[in-house]
Amino acid sequence: MRKPFLQSAFLKLIYKYLCRPALRYFVGVQYVDCSFLKDEEQFIIIANHNSHLDTLSLLTSLPCDILWKVKPVAAEDYFGNTKLKAKLSNFFINTLLINRHSKREDGENYAMNKMTKAIDDGYSLILFPEGSRGEPEQMSKMKSGVARLLAHKPGLKYVPVFMTGMGTSLPKGGLVILPHNSSLHFGEPTLPESSDPHVIMEQIEKDFSAMVQKYGIKEDEDDD
Amino acid sequence: MKKFLSMLFPSQSNEVILMISIILGILITVSAVLFFTKKIFPEKNLTELENRTKSWWIMILIFICAIFINNLASYICLAFLSFLAFRELYSVLHFRQSDRSALLLAFLAIPIQYTLAYIKWYGAYIIFIPVCMFLLLPSVLVIKQDTHRITKSMALLQWTLMLSVFGLSHLAFLLSLPDLEGFSSGGRGLLLFLVFLTEINDIMQYLWGKTLGKHKILPNVSPNKTWEGFIGGLISTTIIGYFIGFLTPLQTPYVILTSAMIAVFGFAGDVVLSAIKRDKGIKDMSDTIPGHGGIFDRIDSLSFTAPAFFHLVYYIAYPHL
Repeated sequence: MRKPFLQSAFLKLIYKYLCRPALRYFVGVQYVDCSFLKDEEQFIIIANHNSHLDTLSLLTSLPCDILWKVKPVAAEDYFGNTKLKAKLSNFFINTLLINRHSKREDGENYAMNKMTKAIDDGYSLILFPEGSRGEPEQMSKMKSGVARLLAHKPGLKYVPVFMTGMGTSLPKGGLVILPHNSSLHFGEPTLPESSDPHVIMEQIEKDFSAMVQKYGIKEDEDDD
Repeated sequence: MKKFLSMLFPSQSNEVILMISIILGILITVSAVLFFTKKIFPEKNLTELENRTKSWWIMILIFICAIFINNLASYICLAFLSFLAFRELYSVLHFRQSDRSALLLAFLAIPIQYTLAYIKWYGAYIIFIPVCMFLLLPSVLVIKQDTHRITKSMALLQWTLMLSVFGLSHLAFLLSLPDLEGFSSGGRGLLLFLVFLTEINDIMQYLWGKTLGKHKILPNVSPNKTWEGFIGGLISTTIIGYFIGFLTPLQTPYVILTSAMIAVFGFAGDVVLSAIKRDKGIKDMSDTIPGHGGIFDRIDSLSFTAPAFFHLVYYIAYPHL
């Protein structure tokens, strides 16, 4: 895999010097140090999904030297419904576009095959197993694709990331960004305990429920 | 250093330059003491103190640059402080999804309020949030027709705006006060006096409480606050205020009165914000400032002392307006 020099420099420039300060000072994303990701050869970031800000915040948190080899997996029918849109998201967000409804028979266009190929090429991925952006501060059921991918690629580590507040800043269907303090919480890079997708899925779900317990926003109790 | 500072900020009065030198002097002394303590007793853990001092350096340098380099920049920086404070406070209060448009409007109130201060239109500035926003925000809230817990949103939104925007914007209007005859420091002198005394009061209350504190004052709100800390802080702040009274146009008895008042209101702001944090079950508002916590963990006292100080000085020294 060759480092795309132009794109790498460009991503560094826009994410580190443009997006990160804007997100930090205007939108209110509270960054944490995640330079430990530099020591990992390859990983899959698994995150909850409530807002378009999720992807941006994740990409701006990453150490900028590895930015070019981390691909957010995005829905082709949304980010790639026109050729231009696909080109733009591939260049600016470095996306790996997949078709959510593809089937095994589609060959190399099958979502799982596409992701496996990217992993084989040496890329790391960002996955939102919930599929689409849900209600703010609520996690919906995660789909098992990520577990199947991890089962298929033994030795690949995953990093759970839990974000809060993003859905309040820019919810699904929201037109403007409302500045709101939001935060990212990075878990440890973890090896799946088993090669059975069901067991891996349970492990991931356990990681997330621990993080929700620890960092999740608790609703006020009804007291009227 | 004084000469150098006079060269850097040629438009500032001698009193203001003297005060900046004193503040930088204190900071350098504290940093030096910390440095040598670390050299002599390497086993002592001073990380928290070091972080705090480092943050103090950054905050003070930003403050000095913001207030003394350019007039317009001062207003913009203070407006940005209000913005950060508002964002931080409302983020922990959990508004409803249907409050979004009202919240956006509240954000819009920040530049308007500071513009009114910048153009020195006192009449509009002083009623904009307590009257205009007070009527407008609930009206916008009802448009969504989601009445579940709307009372709470109405009350919280106005209160948050009052504390973080209306209260803090008094810092900006200090800069807009007209010149008084025979008083060369102007609004910047007053601003420096207020901010310095408020922060000194925080530190003094902490130090007195640490050394002498026995009788808890509000144990269910803030277990670390004691009567000894409060009274020790009140006395030291009043004495220090007396010595830096040259930054204000006030006569000595009034300097003493305003200094004591800064100590009392500073304490009040501190415990009010502590009570909110306790209610929400959080230790710090956010983690914007290393070693201190969030913006509001640092300016909690200031959000109370600013309006109190402004109106007292305005009443005593600017009666002709």
